[in-house]
Formats: sequence, structure tokens, C-alpha cells
Amino acid sequence: MRKEDSGVSRRALEAGEEELRALLSDLVEKARGEAEQADRLCRSSFEALRDELERAGRAIAQRLRAGGRLYSFGGGESSINAAGIAALFARSQEGTSLAARSLACDRAPGSAPGNEPSSGRQLAVFARAGDIAMGYSTGGDRDDVIATLAKAWRRGLLTVGFTDWRDDRMTTCGMLDHCLVVASHDPHRIEEVEAALSHRLWASVQQLLEDDGDRQVTGRRQPATGQELLVAEEAP
Amino acid sequence: MPDHEAAPADAFGAREPERVSKDGLPASDEGLSQDLRGPDAADLAAAGLAMARRFAAAATLWCAAPSWPWHAEHAAGEFAEPVEPSKPGLPAVTVPDGPLAESLRPLARSGDMLLVISRRDEPSLAGLRQRAKAWGVLTVWIGAGPRPEPGSADYVLWVDGDETTASYGGRLALVTHVLLGLTRTCLGHPHLLAPEAAACTEEVCITCSDEGRLGEVVTLGADRCAQVRTPDGLEAVDTTLIEGAGPGDLVLIHAGLAVAVVEVSPR
Repeated sequence: MRKEDSGVSRRALEAGEEELRALLSDLVEKARGEAEQADRLCRSSFEALRDELERAGRAIAQRLRAGGRLYSFGGGESSINAAGIAALFARSQEGTSLAARSLACDRAPGSAPGNEPSSGRQLAVFARAGDIAMGYSTGGDRDDVIATLAKAWRRGLLTVGFTDWRDDRMTTCGMLDHCLVVASHDPHRIEEVEAALSHRLWASVQQLLEDDGDRQVTGRRQPATGQELLVAEEAP
Repeated sequence: MPDHEAAPADAFGAREPERVSKDGLPASDEGLSQDLRGPDAADLAAAGLAMARRFAAAATLWCAAPSWPWHAEHAAGEFAEPVEPSKPGLPAVTVPDGPLAESLRPLARSGDMLLVISRRDEPSLAGLRQRAKAWGVLTVWIGAGPRPEPGSADYVLWVDGDETTASYGGRLALVTHVLLGLTRTCLGHPHLLAPEAAACTEEVCITCSDEGRLGEVVTLGADRCAQVRTPDGLEAVDTTLIEGAGPGDLVLIHAGLAVAVVEVSPR
């Protein structure tokens, strides 16, 4: 009797192990699949948005150079990207530390929408013409992000919006100087690619400002061609 | 092949580079602007299974990212998000601000999990793995840049390549998303989520009898009898054998006796 029992439980155990192994190999496939998907979307997005990224980078660099500040905001999950990009611009470990701040958006699960600090109200307090507004609309309340971008546009800020295929209100609102559309419906993939695009924007702004620095040094060494300083902004 | 189940991070460093590149998540090239690779898909799978097992046993997931606080908020928010609006999400929250060990100590229960997202050189992580072990907390470490020492967490999910690009360019978010997806997949197979079988099959149990267990001293009594926190709860432990142990110290316990003070590793 005992022997049979142990035979049964051993078989059950073996069946369980078999199933577990199958599950683990499924998981490995799934992990690779998701990463491949992310990389594919990233590549295609960079390709499709190359020109727009370059234009946006130049415009942002120009405003920062002139003393503007960058304000980032987003709803739900994308408030994370807003926080990340502001921290990246403001950090000083490498490159130039720039004036950037994310507008607080509470994404605590279960918090009542009425209690969320509105990015629009904050923008109204902080922002001036000449600043930059960067809005991420992937998660949460899109209306709030769009309303804040519209407010920013009316106040003379440079408006940069990130959006995706699930909604075309941002592309059609006509109040965005630069619109970066990630061609996907998957919130996770969109979020990752938006982070990658933001990182690229930061890198190109850093590059542009670094080029400035080089040119200014040249200008100082050769006072005769000091005019360079004045035209440096749009020089090739 | 029992070793593919919950492969410990300690084995991570022993892995040959070829294996990592073959099994790792594909290298992103132009997309994420620099060559970022990993973590190993098998490690992700093992971590997902271990986390699902703990969630199934009512664990809370604590998330911390000392230098990148939004990553902790992101991870906690993603895990806590309900799959269907009518169902509750997983119990995941950020560790309150402050020194990590001090903030987590009163909150963490035995069986809980700690997910850290950070670079290797993070001062507040010093000794945290051992402490978490004494509390009975599973540690999962997502990071990028230079790799930590093998065994720095129960599961180390590392992205090789530039730390800034990985952190700010979406790669660490991808690792979090994949880990969440795998954990959820495992939770769909509740019959496979029984707690890992204890190793006590022989007459002498190697995990609880012949070896010392880690504990954290809570209070020291006048008779050198200390209250020590272990994964099983508070235990009275005789500290006659060790000199100078005080509250907060990690000790090795054997048969009700503290036999050594454990030096907390710098990281």
C-alpha cells in the first residue's frame, strides 16, 4: 500500500516536473520574443522619425541655449518617462546639466482622478514663453496631457509631444511643434520606445551644445572672426 | 535536471560569455543607440517563477531604485496594475524614502520580495542581500553597467552596456515589463506554484541543522540572550560565544546559539 502510494506520488511529481520544464521553456521564448519585438519597434521608429528627431533636437537646444527651461509631463505610466527625461537633462554626471523639471503627476494606483495634481495648473505657475513643454500621452489621462500641451503652445512654449497609434488627437490638434508617433498599440512597447527616443533627443541636444562650446572657444581665440558667435546657432 | 529550477544568481558569474550572448535577450543596435545586451532569458524565467511562487503565497513586492526613483514607481505601478479592471493587481509598492535597510526593516515580512533597480555601486545596497536573507525576503536586482559580484541578490537581471543608455533609454523598463509578463504567465499555472520543495529529505537537514542560519539581532538582553530576527520570526538566541554583537548585527545561528557575527559585505 505504501509502496503504491509512493509510486503514485512519484509519477505525479514527475508529471509536475515535466510541466514545470515546459513552462520555463515557454517563459524563455516569451522573454526573447518580447525583446525582439521591442528592438524591432525601436529600429523602425528611429528610422521613421529620424528627421523629426533632428528638428526637435535643434529646436530644444536653441531654446535651452537662450535660457529656456524644459518641463516634462505625462499621464499614468508615461509620467515615468516624463520623470526620467527631466532627470536625464538635469543630471551632471556626463555632459552639461540643463534646466529641466518634470511636473508631478501622481500615478499611485487607486488614487482618485480629482486628487491628481494637474500638469496644466503647474505649467501655468512655472512656464514662460521660450520654455519647452514635453508631453507623453501613453498612459492615463490623455486629455490632461493634450490640454497642457495646448496651454503651453498658446503661451509660446515649444511643444514636443509623444504619442502612438491608439489615438490621433495629438497629431491632429495642430498645437504641436514636434510630434513623435510610435507606431504601436502595445503600451509597454510604446513606453520603452518613447524612452529610447527621449534619450536620443537628450544625446543630440548634448551634441549640439558641445559643438557650440567648441565654436565659442574658437571665436575667443580669434577675435577677428568674433562674428561667428552670432551665427553659430544655425551654422552647419 | 533540477538545477534549471530557480537557478541561483550565484551561478551567474560562472557562465561563459558565449552562453550569455547566445541566450541573452538580443542585442539592441541602432534602436537603443548602443550595444546593450541581456539579461539572460533563462534567468528572467527563473526569477519570474520564483516571484510568482511568492505572490501565490501572499507576498508583498517592495520596489526600490535609490538613484532612479521613477524606476521603482514604474515597477510597483506595473505589478500593481490589475490585468482585468474587476480584479485586484498584485501587491507591489515602493519602499519609502530613506536609507533602504532602515525603511524596509519594519515593513518587510518573511516571504516578501525586494526588487531593486540600480547600478552596481549604490551605497545603500551594502549588505542588503544578507539582511534580506535574515528577514526571509527574496531579492531581485535589475541593473546595468558594470556587473555586481556573483551572489549579490537571489536573482540578478543585468544589462551589459552603457548604464545611462540602459536606464534612461528604455532598456531597464523592458526588463521590468518582461519580468512582469513572465510572473503573470506563471500565476496562470497555480498548481505549479507550490513553495519550492524543502531540501529536508535526509535524516539530517542541511538547511536547518548542520549549517548556520542568518539572523539579525533585534535586542540584547542582560543575560546575553538576544532576540534575533530570522525568516521564522523572532527567536531567543544565546550570544555567549560572540563578543560585541549588538542590535542590527547579522549573526550566524546554530542550535539556538549565535556562533559568529557576519561581516556585512560592502555591496
